Amino acid sequence: MVKLDFPHRQAGHCESGVTRNLLNYHGLPISEPVAFGIGAGLFFSYLPFLKMQHAPTTSFRVWPGQVFDRTTKVLGVTSRIHTFRDPKESMSKLNEVLEQGYPVGLQVGTFHLPFFPPEYRMHYNMHNMVVYGYEGDNYFISDTVMENLVEINNEDLMRVRFAKGAFAPQGRMYYPVDVPKNVDIRPAIVRGIRKTANNMVGIPFPLVGAKGIRYLAGRMRKWEKNLGPEKASYYLGQVLRMEEEVGTAGAGFRFIYGAFLEEASQILNQPWLKELSVEMGENANRWREFSYLGSRNCKKRGKPDQSYDFLADILLEVAGREEKIFKALAKIK
Amino acid sequence: MNEQDPKTSGGEGELIYTYNREMFYHFDREKGFSQTIDYQNPGNQVIIKQSWDEADHRLDEARAKVRAGLASPVAYYMEKILMEVPMLAAYVELPKWRVRRHMKSGPFKKLKPEILSRYASVFGITVDELTNPEFLR
Repeated sequence: MVKLDFPHRQAGHCESGVTRNLLNYHGLPISEPVAFGIGAGLFFSYLPFLKMQHAPTTSFRVWPGQVFDRTTKVLGVTSRIHTFRDPKESMSKLNEVLEQGYPVGLQVGTFHLPFFPPEYRMHYNMHNMVVYGYEGDNYFISDTVMENLVEINNEDLMRVRFAKGAFAPQGRMYYPVDVPKNVDIRPAIVRGIRKTANNMVGIPFPLVGAKGIRYLAGRMRKWEKNLGPEKASYYLGQVLRMEEEVGTAGAGFRFIYGAFLEEASQILNQPWLKELSVEMGENANRWREFSYLGSRNCKKRGKPDQSYDFLADILLEVAGREEKIFKALAKIK
Repeated sequence: MNEQDPKTSGGEGELIYTYNREMFYHFDREKGFSQTIDYQNPGNQVIIKQSWDEADHRLDEARAKVRAGLASPVAYYMEKILMEVPMLAAYVELPKWRVRRHMKSGPFKKLKPEILSRYASVFGITVDELTNPEFLR
């Protein structure tokens, strides 16, 4: 029986929330937006050849696991990451680490999570949560999506840790073991911003970053003609679900990133970042408007102000705006 | 499951079921960034519902195919738990081409009990339910 004194706090995004909660537990007081920003979590990619739930994949974030990896690495925190082949071994390792007194972050698949609301039951393997203790067969879980602490039994936990399919977690567990005292987070913030700026405007590949948003806009105009109204509407719905539903705190992480820029301007004492955070916030509101109009389009087709062309124009607008923001951010010192 | 205070009021006569309060971020030019913990934005229910409607539609199609003898119950149950071939193949630990083959009714009838029980355990049903689904009886 182990039950650590782990403070449960909700968060907009599971992985940066878990990273924040774990680092706060070890005495490093950073907020969720800062964890997300240092981890360079913001991204955009549209991969039409990779189908997810029968529609092209749209992603607003970096590869799963990168936020924790980058944040701990850049801050000089020593952390351990394990993946397993054998489910039994992964559980005994988990018990061992909990007994040593470390809360553990886990990557899990959401389909078999018993405490998730039924309408979220989809095969999504990039969810993160914290285990902070166990008693017999019951594990104590702090999940940033849930309002309260929850429990899960051994069998279910083993099943979600070894979910299969794209991005299979393979029992991935991670935990910081040594957090240095009095870390200077300023250079880490600068590095995080530079990395994100490079991801968004510096990669010469058409499907990612601000270019990727433009590419999606171009594709969107052709959907109705090429795929028929039913499928076009489903494809659009998939983009919106990735943007609003999948633990992004809204607008595909743009709100969290804006909040990060605001905090960064105070920490670094650089007022120009504050202006960019306002720009980012407006941009995020535009994304939210896009998802609102888009969902109207999914409901009733045919209105001119909700057509695919109109939505694609909004995408071009946000693409231009993001390009401007990140080109400015790339010059940070 | 956190079921206290489920909100069931929906716009335009639709039932919205949300059990869970999540954190959302907002931005306002005067107030800056803020966080609220709230139920899901009702506008987004449309797109959640769309994905479930699509799943139902696919399930109906698969059921009709199995009834007509064009597909095996594996195809039906795969849609039922919202999987696709690569994922199902990973769960039953078989190559993808074999799983695709097992979706035809002919090869399915010749399957060994061991393979059948693997499928049944992934689908969470008994072997009898797999070989003789309720809607065919």
